Amino acid sequence: MFRIFLSMDALTALIVIVALVALATVLGLTLRARGTRVASGCGGDEHQLSVEGAEVTLVQLSSPVCSACVAMRRVGSELAAADPTVAHREIDVLDEPDVARRHSVYSTPTTLVLDRDGHVRSRLIGAVKPADVRAAVDAARTREAVAA
Amino acid sequence: MSAATPNPNVTPSQPFGIDPRGPRFGASITAVLLLIVVLLGLTEPLGADLVARALQPSALLLTVIVALFAWGAFAGIEKHPYGAIYRRLIAPRLAPPTEREHPAPPTFAQLVGLLVTATGLVLHLAGVPGALVVAASAAFIAAFLNAVFAYCLGCQLYVLLVRLGVLRRSNPAA
Repeated sequence: MFRIFLSMDALTALIVIVALVALATVLGLTLRARGTRVASGCGGDEHQLSVEGAEVTLVQLSSPVCSACVAMRRVGSELAAADPTVAHREIDVLDEPDVARRHSVYSTPTTLVLDRDGHVRSRLIGAVKPADVRAAVDAARTREAVAA
Repeated sequence: MSAATPNPNVTPSQPFGIDPRGPRFGASITAVLLLIVVLLGLTEPLGADLVARALQPSALLLTVIVALFAWGAFAGIEKHPYGAIYRRLIAPRLAPPTEREHPAPPTFAQLVGLLVTATGLVLHLAGVPGALVVAASAAFIAAFLNAVFAYCLGCQLYVLLVRLGVLRRSNPAA
């Protein structure tokens, strides 16, 4: 059976190679398309992580082997530096594994947007564009729409 | 595993980090070499004994790739020969980098590449049919994603390892 799989003729092998490159390309395009996104309406409380006095706290879960975390750190810290009502803090996911579990964090950077009460209002996955981060921060400033 | 995830707060040997295009250049070479391994592996019959399997061209080329991954993983990405080629021949022809990267993520990627390719090579030497082709294909996909899409493997794997409990803080107070 493996005689068919291995030692195939050169043409068949070339077709397999082309298929492998095509597969990797499709995979890359898929991963890029869902690489960064904003997930809203997440729920849950993380009082212990919110910065006291801040209207909105950005809690960035990072890893030391993650290059996109550096880009996200820049966006978050610049936003916090420009706006005193916004705080940005970064934690190693290894230090807060339970937070990662509670909020279904599967990749770094994932940034939790906490309102003044410590509610998680949205999750920013990947190195999100500054404008999208600002929109998520502004949404977290408004009172949560409570049904009944 | 903790040795593979150095603290980013520790000052790297180069104060401003590395040009992120360097590791991507290296990943391009690795991807092409791995594709050649797959091509050779598909067209060659599996060697009859250990010596024959070790000396078939696909296994020889994969051995070189394994050695290069080991170099990057243990000496650090900054000391990798592809990085030296990049700095000598490519970087002077390009604009200066707009951003710099910490060397830890690409070094971690080298370790992942080492684990995948070394596993394939060992299984191939043990006589497992298809092991070389499967491992080289998997490593090719990772190298291709890195080179073409700047895909950050460490961003995904680290969280999975933490959530699976593979990575743990040795000192909770740290």
